[in-house]
Amino acid sequence: MLKRRLAGVPLWVLAIIVLLLLGGVVVGPMGMSLLGVPRPEPELPAEVVFHIAGFLITNSILGAWFTIIVLAGLSFIITRRMKMVPGRLQSAFEFLVGWVYDFCRRVAGEKNGRRFFPVVATIFLFVSFNAWLSLVPGFGSITITNEEGYAVHLLRGANTDINVPLALALVSFLFVEYFGLRSLGIKYLSKFFNLGPFLRGLGQVLKGKVGAGFGAMFSGLIQIFVGVLETLSEFVRILSFTFRLFGNMTAGEILLLSAAFLMPFVFPSVFYGLEMLVGFVQALIFSGLTLVFLTLAVMHHGEAQETHKE
Amino acid sequence: MNRWAAALRLVGVGFFIGGAIVLGVGAGLWLDTRLNTKPILVIVGLILGIIVAFYGVYQMLLPLLSNRRNKRSE
Repeated sequence: MLKRRLAGVPLWVLAIIVLLLLGGVVVGPMGMSLLGVPRPEPELPAEVVFHIAGFLITNSILGAWFTIIVLAGLSFIITRRMKMVPGRLQSAFEFLVGWVYDFCRRVAGEKNGRRFFPVVATIFLFVSFNAWLSLVPGFGSITITNEEGYAVHLLRGANTDINVPLALALVSFLFVEYFGLRSLGIKYLSKFFNLGPFLRGLGQVLKGKVGAGFGAMFSGLIQIFVGVLETLSEFVRILSFTFRLFGNMTAGEILLLSAAFLMPFVFPSVFYGLEMLVGFVQALIFSGLTLVFLTLAVMHHGEAQETHKE
Repeated sequence: MNRWAAALRLVGVGFFIGGAIVLGVGAGLWLDTRLNTKPILVIVGLILGIIVAFYGVYQMLLPLLSNRRNKRSE
């Protein structure tokens, strides 16, 4: 009787899953709410755990440090004894890093791909590991008492504190400007302050060619306005980077909390899978968009349109 | 620019529009309360935000548009 299967799964496993699902309905607030599960209270600002020399150390900072330690530890363990024929962990990481590297080269080209890879890979690894680590059971549920005597969560996914996405967005912004200035020199700034055509028109007017000069001055003014728009959109990028990551991660955490509250046991595991995917996708989007903007920044002016036509 | 880059830029479009408008309105509101020019700068900010949003989206979609045009002319 135990050997009966439905779609390859033993029936008793299915029965346990269904029982847990029904149990969830009964125990949670959707049904009779037998256990009285505490209602989740998501808080947007990160909670302060302790102070170091006047600095507030919040639980999201601790979460970020935890992520960094895990990443550093993993890379130490993996690279300490590298083999020509890699073991399981080493080959998994070689695949991951190789994949990001290929991605960089395909988008930015051979030479620039090599230059951008460290930035892009760092952002990708940090964001994705942060998202995945905060899904590990226990990450968000350990509480300790802080100096003021409140019970606070010890760790919190760093992406769910708006300061961390903002910091990452600023890092991405700074690297875009740095690489742009580095490879194009002062010419890079002509994208934002394009006074050349206007001044040339003014010169023509002063030389006596009034008609052509005013025409050139007018199109020069439009160029200046376009430069202002470019500058503004550079700053809008920071904002949209920040809110995309923060919004997606925070919404995910709240979704998991609410799902676990409404129907415990089986129901939230669907969203767990979803959140793993979301963490990966957000890391990919954040690093990928950084890569795209880096690529655009190092292109020469007219070149941008040319390459698109390939 | 390959497919990946194009796809990533499309992903960026939505939040870019939102960000541009929010930034414009936010800056307008902030300046309004500081300079006591209540409704004017919010409206200016909103319009500027919308213009930046349209310009940015146009820039982001340019490669895709030119791709299509090339295909049609072939």
